[in-house]
Amino acid sequence: MFKRNNQRKEEKREGAKFGALLVLPAQVYFFSILIFPLVCGIYISLSEWSPLSSGGLKWYMAFKFWSWLSNYWNLIRDTEFLMALVRTFIVVGIVVPAEFFLGLLLAFLFLEKFPLKKILHTMMIMPMMIVPAVSGFVFYMMFQAAGVINGIIGLFTAARVDIGWLQHNVLALIAIMLADIWQWTPFMFLILLSGLLSLPQDQLDAATILGFSRFQKFRMLVFPLMKPVFIIALILRGIEAVKIFDPIWIMTSGGPGTATETISVYLYKHGFIFLKWSWIAAAGFLVLILMSIISTFALRPIKEEVEKEA
Amino acid sequence: MEQKLYVRILKYILVLVIVLAFFFPIYWTITMAFKPHMEWTSAAGRIFWVPNKPTFTNFTSLFQRKISIASPLASTAVRPIVNSIIVSVISTGLAVVVGTMAGYAISRYRAGGNISFMLLTLRMFPPAAVIVPLMVLWAYLGFVDTAHGLFILYGLVTLPFAVILMKTFFDEIPKELDEAAVMDGYSNWGAFTKFILPLAKGAISTTALFCFILNWSDFILALILTDKDWSTIPVYLDKLQSGYVGKLYGPKAALALIAAIPPVVFGILIQKYLVRGLTFGAIKK
Repeated sequence: MFKRNNQRKEEKREGAKFGALLVLPAQVYFFSILIFPLVCGIYISLSEWSPLSSGGLKWYMAFKFWSWLSNYWNLIRDTEFLMALVRTFIVVGIVVPAEFFLGLLLAFLFLEKFPLKKILHTMMIMPMMIVPAVSGFVFYMMFQAAGVINGIIGLFTAARVDIGWLQHNVLALIAIMLADIWQWTPFMFLILLSGLLSLPQDQLDAATILGFSRFQKFRMLVFPLMKPVFIIALILRGIEAVKIFDPIWIMTSGGPGTATETISVYLYKHGFIFLKWSWIAAAGFLVLILMSIISTFALRPIKEEVEKEA
Repeated sequence: MEQKLYVRILKYILVLVIVLAFFFPIYWTITMAFKPHMEWTSAAGRIFWVPNKPTFTNFTSLFQRKISIASPLASTAVRPIVNSIIVSVISTGLAVVVGTMAGYAISRYRAGGNISFMLLTLRMFPPAAVIVPLMVLWAYLGFVDTAHGLFILYGLVTLPFAVILMKTFFDEIPKELDEAAVMDGYSNWGAFTKFILPLAKGAISTTALFCFILNWSDFILALILTDKDWSTIPVYLDKLQSGYVGKLYGPKAALALIAAIPPVVFGILIQKYLVRGLTFGAIKK
């Protein structure tokens, strides 16, 4: 008896060792690539070093241009940077709820049987599989003054329409948000539909027999059961939406002026067009800190959900 | 059933309107790809809802040297298409191999502590926030504008998805199978490779297709880290221009179509698992 117990313990320890060995490649891969950029980023961000203007000095000589926290201090007072952050959250605050409600509406509509349902379902989820840069090009093309969007509006106004969407501060932002809503409503639709389909049908039927109205059913049954799905869908979409870059860069490059500059566009433009590397290293680090703070709150429900399964 | 017929018809019309509106941009790109130069825009006075004189010139011009391209890119679309395929395939392989091992270890041995959650947190950060130090490292290592410079990063970006997807699939394979194999005298490694992996074939291909779609879709990393040799389709699409025919809507639409086909086909193939992949296994169905 004692011996067998010992053997089992031995086996368990063996298993743990084996498990640790199997995750090792993932951990090495992960850390070896992430640690250097983090350390190097912080180091550069504390200097005024830049690849071109610093006399061709290599990055590790950045201490020659040491400036302590001045990049950070200037960044938190920099209007363009702060506006890019604010604009990002405005975009996220508009597109994510829009995608959510449109997706929810569609999910409810797709609960019923109707002709051609399978084809329509496939057509509906196609946009989310299109390469984001491609959808940026598609919307760029459609929102030209001589493009098809103006053509469609022209059908209703019966006069030639020549709106320069992407040259107008507000319209350009609207065009970008429409591109995002087009691409990611299917994502919401798919998640919400799968949530609705896994609701306990017998409970819903019972509620119908008991004479509950549709609204009552939603409020008392569907909503509480769907709440975790709603939260997961909103958070995941929100996380991805904050990173928005591809369609904006292709449609407007952040312009006109800085009217459509979100945080990723700001970082790319100042880092790789203006080559302000230490400035952008600092800005990137600030964004990382901000996102970490947000993530500790935002990811909690998902973490719980994933761990519940474990 | 309890609904009146006209309500159902109205709902159906609503579905049709929304779906067709969402499909329109795709329809428009397909038609654009087959339109001759004169029909690209309404500059000539009218909109061409369908191609009047359909043509393949847009496609063929992508593979000829006629269109001039903003230097210093290679001039035809052949190289970017090949690059996209090479880089996406290798990075997908990397993510799937490393991710399958880690996913199995997490599923069976709870190994790696919090690694799955750490990987999830990684998704929170905009890649743009680390591009400068990354560029410094890549330049130092001589990885800029190389294939490995790109696929090492793509593999890392899709690794979280691979790990977590594979973990959820392994969770569905009963643990008793491994135990039975070990009882029969197989080592842990033997149980994993000889018994569990063959059962997980479908799961592995689903994960691979999912990672491929993500790798194929990247734009920002390739935009920063590649130049004339290893630029991928999205970067080439962004830079494709011509001095004398203005905006190359036709050829660009043709290229957009080429770029769109693999992920759309693969996406439809793994439709059942898209939700699981996109929600990091938080929603299984």
